[in-house]
Amino acid sequence: MTRPLAAAAAGVLFLLLRLTTPAPPVIVVGLLAVALSAVAIAATWRWAATSAAALFLIGYATALGIESRPVDVGAALGFGLALLLLLGAVDLSARARGAILHGRVVGATLGRFLGLGVGALAAALLAMTLATVLATVLTSAAAPLLAAAGALAFVWSLAALVRRAAGPS
Amino acid sequence: MTGRVTPLALSILAVAGWAVSLGVLLARPELFLVALPGVLVLATLGRRASRPACSIAHRISSDRLFEGDSLTVTVTVGARAPVALVELSGPLPPGVVLGSGRPRALMTLREGDTGEWSYDVRFPRRGVHDLGAVAVRVRDRLGLRTWEYRHVDPMAVRVYPRIVPLRSLPRPFHTQPSVGDYVSSALGEGIEPGDVRQFAPGDRIKQVNWRASLRLGQLYVTQRHRERNADVVLMLDTLAEVGAPPETTLDQGVRAAASLATAYLARKDRVGLITYGGVLSWVRPGSGPVQYERLADGLVRADVVFTYVAKDLQRVPPRVLSPQALVLAITPLLDRRFAKAVLDLAARGFDVVVLVVSPVAVTRAAIPPSPTDDLAGRLWDLERRADLTELRRHGLPVLEWRPPEPLEAALVAVPRRRARLASAG
Repeated sequence: MTRPLAAAAAGVLFLLLRLTTPAPPVIVVGLLAVALSAVAIAATWRWAATSAAALFLIGYATALGIESRPVDVGAALGFGLALLLLLGAVDLSARARGAILHGRVVGATLGRFLGLGVGALAAALLAMTLATVLATVLTSAAAPLLAAAGALAFVWSLAALVRRAAGPS
Repeated sequence: MTGRVTPLALSILAVAGWAVSLGVLLARPELFLVALPGVLVLATLGRRASRPACSIAHRISSDRLFEGDSLTVTVTVGARAPVALVELSGPLPPGVVLGSGRPRALMTLREGDTGEWSYDVRFPRRGVHDLGAVAVRVRDRLGLRTWEYRHVDPMAVRVYPRIVPLRSLPRPFHTQPSVGDYVSSALGEGIEPGDVRQFAPGDRIKQVNWRASLRLGQLYVTQRHRERNADVVLMLDTLAEVGAPPETTLDQGVRAAASLATAYLARKDRVGLITYGGVLSWVRPGSGPVQYERLADGLVRADVVFTYVAKDLQRVPPRVLSPQALVLAITPLLDRRFAKAVLDLAARGFDVVVLVVSPVAVTRAAIPPSPTDDLAGRLWDLERRADLTELRRHGLPVLEWRPPEPLEAALVAVPRRRARLASAG
């Protein structure tokens, strides 16, 4: 049951790419990512799933670069959730390999992802409102530098969080 | 209990970092939104996580088995608080074959829930197996953090060698004073009729042979042969083995020893055991069902321990290796030190019978047939025949057993009247 879930996530990711743009380079990258996802699902390799997610991201970024559309919050959030679902389902497949699934393991995982989706939507709306306010305050010259520094600090703090959690409990 | 971040958390961190980086480079807010679910998930790592509250118990359906038998392992998990995902890995020691079911399980439990799963394992080879540890891995709600520990509840399973019923057994030269199944030439208490003689004061009425007394007009009594038991010592060669488990020469030798021990104990004999190898160990001769347990425990642990040192059998106490005992040496004759020890025993006047487990038959059963291997096997067989002839030349009764032939077939070949070697030594 976990493998169809991962396959569905990969399918949704490719569909979102295709809906963003039908440009051949994006489709090629998307197909490569789907192939890598298939390998990850078949062999339950986490590294392949992570690589496939990175490829999907490259494809999505390229598609956004090609098509200059207004921000589509739903599609972007859906893409992010599908990426998470792909990673989570492949991870669960790896754990469930050769094991009996007792009770509602897959159902509970799906439920958690739905909850996460709702939370992410609320957070996205909040973030978009804040960004709109911030955009009126900031000067256009300082914005890229501030965004880069902010992104660096953000990723750094996430890594620190993970590192702290990895310590002895 | 060890807590750690899962590879999934690192994957999400990598993807979220990649999305944020691409978002900055391309100045597209959608990529920040793509990273948002991952960031939200990772933010939960900032919370102080509570340790998993689940209890594990496991049980096995039997703790004593024979080779080839199966048992059921049942693992039960109880949740005192909701458990998002618990991964359990039941015991599956090396050399044990999974029968039905799976030794791993994943469960999601609500507060107060109990989960249970079971699987069957088969034990193809004798030994003492530990089925006491269950590996537990509990994950948090989003699968970012795990806690690992081992639930240990010692449970040893003893797997005894397979036994085959035997009727033809090498008969010992010497008997012991205790009651057994061997009819002694000496007269006394027993059920086998011996001689008839005239009644003498002190004879009991039930000994009177009425038919002879009426015919001869005087009282005659029937004398009876005493029934004795014997001491039998099984000497198992653990210096070397060939073949593939669970059918190595040692495995076959252990099965032969267990079958012989059962048959001799059924005849009320006292049976002892010496394992002769890198480690010299013994079980003092005794009789009865408890003695079988002692012997089986010794046989279950018998294993090849390599050594350059030839063990001296004089270290074995006389109460274990009594000069009156029948010594049944069970060996593949792969190591000349064992043959030397057997010849030494025979030279010291012991009643020795050698049961040779053919390594040629065991090896050929373990490898696929090919013309080269067949030729090599035949040459090896010829070489071994010369070795056995050499032993027989010393006056030792040598029985060759070629598994999978029945052991009984090899034992039938033992001569009913064996020459004593004491004089030859």
